[in-house]
Amino acid sequence: MTANISVGVLALQGAFYEHLKLLKVAATQDNPDSTTTWRFLEVRTPAELSSCDALIIPGGESTTVALIAARCGLLEPLRDFVKVHRKPTWGTCAGLILLAESASRTKKGGQDLIGGLDVRVNRNYFGRQTESFEAEIHLPFLDAGKLGPNEPFPGVFIRAPVVEKILPQVTGEQLGEARLKDTVVAPARETGKRIENAVEVLGRLPGRSQLLKDKFGMVDLDNESGDIIAVRQHNVFGTSFHPELTQDVRVHIWWLNQVAGTVAITPKK
Amino acid sequence: MANDTAINGNGSVADKEAKSVSFGVKDGLAKMLKGGVIMDVVNAEQARIAEEAGACAVMALERVPADIRAQGGVARMSDPQMIKEIIQTVTIPVMAKARIGHFVECQILEAIGVDFIDESEVLTPADAFHHVEKHPFTVPFVCGCRNLGEALRRISEGAAMIRTKGEAGTGDIIEAVRHMRAVNAEISKAKALDTMELRVMAKEIGAPYDLLKETAERGRLPVVNFAAGGVATPADAALMMQLGCDGVFVGSGIFKSGNAALRARAIVQAVTHFRDAKILAEVSGDLGEAMVGLNVGKLNDEEKLAKRGW
Repeated sequence: MTANISVGVLALQGAFYEHLKLLKVAATQDNPDSTTTWRFLEVRTPAELSSCDALIIPGGESTTVALIAARCGLLEPLRDFVKVHRKPTWGTCAGLILLAESASRTKKGGQDLIGGLDVRVNRNYFGRQTESFEAEIHLPFLDAGKLGPNEPFPGVFIRAPVVEKILPQVTGEQLGEARLKDTVVAPARETGKRIENAVEVLGRLPGRSQLLKDKFGMVDLDNESGDIIAVRQHNVFGTSFHPELTQDVRVHIWWLNQVAGTVAITPKK
Repeated sequence: MANDTAINGNGSVADKEAKSVSFGVKDGLAKMLKGGVIMDVVNAEQARIAEEAGACAVMALERVPADIRAQGGVARMSDPQMIKEIIQTVTIPVMAKARIGHFVECQILEAIGVDFIDESEVLTPADAFHHVEKHPFTVPFVCGCRNLGEALRRISEGAAMIRTKGEAGTGDIIEAVRHMRAVNAEISKAKALDTMELRVMAKEIGAPYDLLKETAERGRLPVVNFAAGGVATPADAALMMQLGCDGVFVGSGIFKSGNAALRARAIVQAVTHFRDAKILAEVSGDLGEAMVGLNVGKLNDEEKLAKRGW
């Protein structure tokens, strides 16, 4: 089956070019049997967004991206894209914050969220830039996708957030979260159909003390107590690290395969 | 892919990324700032205005360059207490300036927890010959340049980000344009040279050969490159973006203008939509007075901050 799939990268601020570069590499290393024709574009306007079948929200400053999105009239279309049209979306770092239904430690006065993942993220969980780090992480979903079994992935964490809580699935706003101090939530969307999928944890980083002891050591896969750094709910995917800052294209290939699968079963508008 | 293999084969790009793990983390933050505006602020209140306007980072300093020019005297690192207040007030990254060569000011800034240090010609230099050795620091550095050689010398010392020097505190964009065009022209020239010729060029511009070669292969500076020094309007910001910068620093241009919050927002919009003249026209209207500015052509050589450093 031939498919033309347009993948946008939100280009309001941040490392969007790095995603585009890696997407182009990933497309060439795609399944050789695939007849998908990929188109990759920068998204700055509602018109550009509406031409996309899937979207990446890159790393950058989440406050900045949210403010610019609101001023460009993109915030509502983005919420519709993720939560009403249910198109595949991936957020890295700042993108993960924006895709969360709840976020703590945001700027004074809070910030706008897009939502889509029933999680609470803790912004800048690891601290300031001097606490940023690289660590090899184990991503079991790459093994399942036969993209280099047991090869650790180079995780780059820049003033990174983590998922600090998986929230119950609710229809509408996360009201329990809204009552918490210094926490912002994404507004509700009439979706028509409720999403049954719960949040899946796709990657963890071992406890911070262990991490600091051996910054570049291997991650203990059995350690369930680690910080959550990759999640998926239905077709919304979020990572607190930056695959786009590496030359390792596996996560991009995996995600494009997921997108191809979703778009193939969803008739075009 | 053939091209990539060639780069890896020569070792420079791949080796650096493999060896210098922490440099990837420094360069990573610089990449997160791309497409953004970094604003000079002198207190927590201004930092909040900048954050609400959509700044991707703030630069904490005691006096904006226009005031340093007007008031004279020795300009030093800001009061750590003031920087801490700004750090506690905003969630975006906080940068701060240290004097050229003043590595102890840098150690203090790192201890406070700033996210980026600008070893800046805007402050009075502390060392007539040496720039700070930046590799040993955990915190990343940004440094100014007027041309490719200067940019590559700073990167060689460990800078994770470069900015054009421009002429700070003037509101006159001519020097920022001059410096950006100089860098672009030298990169174009380097791209056309063979190995033997590149060695000669490296000697001529006083740059390490390996970094010059890497720049020629990439067709751009190996690190993120912002514009600085004279940006006063949304059009100035978009001009620098169209000339190939990755983002923009605005110093005196915002808080020396009539309506800082409005102008700051407009410049943020201009950097995102730098190729869209219709949006640029919309955001450029009704901003109140721009900073009055100084004509760089009328400055004496001793008054030019860009001459500091080498």
